[in-house]
Amino acid sequence: MTDKNHSSADDAALVRAAQRGDMTAFEELVARHRDKIYARAYTMMRNEEEAIDLSQEAWVKGWQRLKQFQGESSFGTWMTRIVINLCLDALRKQKRQRTESIEEINEESGGVERQMPIVTVNPTAGLERSELRQRIDRALSQLSYEHRTVLVLHEFEEMEYKQIAKTMNCSIGTVMSRLFYARRKLAALLADLKKQDK
Amino acid sequence: MMEYNQQLKLQAYLDGELPEAEAREVANWLARDREAVALLTELRNTRQALAGFEAGFRVPESEDFYWSKIRREIERLEPVEAPVRPAIPWFKRLRGLLIPAAAAAVLAIAGLVVMQELGLRQRGTPGEAETALADAGTFTYRDFSARATLVWLTYPAENEVAGEDPIGTMD
Repeated sequence: MTDKNHSSADDAALVRAAQRGDMTAFEELVARHRDKIYARAYTMMRNEEEAIDLSQEAWVKGWQRLKQFQGESSFGTWMTRIVINLCLDALRKQKRQRTESIEEINEESGGVERQMPIVTVNPTAGLERSELRQRIDRALSQLSYEHRTVLVLHEFEEMEYKQIAKTMNCSIGTVMSRLFYARRKLAALLADLKKQDK
Repeated sequence: MMEYNQQLKLQAYLDGELPEAEAREVANWLARDREAVALLTELRNTRQALAGFEAGFRVPESEDFYWSKIRREIERLEPVEAPVRPAIPWFKRLRGLLIPAAAAAVLAIAGLVVMQELGLRQRGTPGEAETALADAGTFTYRDFSARATLVWLTYPAENEVAGEDPIGTMD
């Protein structure tokens, strides 16, 4: 359990205490942000066990690098960037271990999305929040990690194209192309799920 | 059908990535192109659907268990700091040196005494021998170091004739 004295402190005060070596302050920070860090890892990895492991690894790295944190961004954002980088490393390793499918190569070349018909009816309109989450979860699982990651960085992390390109070590053109494909594919998958309901 | 570059420009417009002048051009284009409007609507719907998606996620482990694994890993990776020794005042350090110094001095003195003793014996000083003139057959040997006096008598005396008084009576 975290120290009761820390529960009323703000993040900045907890970070300062943790930087001085106070582990109970760090424990309070973990308690506050662990769901967000785990969620980011899960969205990228699509695997509960890997998401737990990577989120915990991110916290360990966070503790080790805490002295480098100068408060340019919020502590939560700083931790999120750590977990994103860990997930990207893990996904790159996984990709090296498997061969690319023809579909993935087509996705990379950026031609498929041009031929997709436009989804004119909002496929998520009127859905309950839990149902919507479930559908998005399923649709995200069907995207390649590059498309999913671009989507995560843009939609959840609110990064600009330039930042995403730097994070993913690719060009801005590739980011735009991947983001466009990911959005169009997601719309098509959600439309398919809606059709299955009828 | 729209050019791919136009499609990407539409997306950049949605994301606020276009410079102001280009954004105005796209806005004008949207006013007269229904297909562009339909695509923009699809992209916007997808974006809205994703909003708040991560909000409901919870770590599927108890808070204590989740934290305990993090703490263990931190403790495992952190180097164990060497215990800091308290500073010892100079007089205590000096006192610490005095004990072995005194022991060495005692040993040195004892060594010197033994060496002197052995040296004296080897050189063989010693004693002195004397011969009493009155009695040339008597030798006296004195060893001062051993505090011993040895008197050596030879009878019959060398200046006497043994055969004159075979009984050796003393007058």
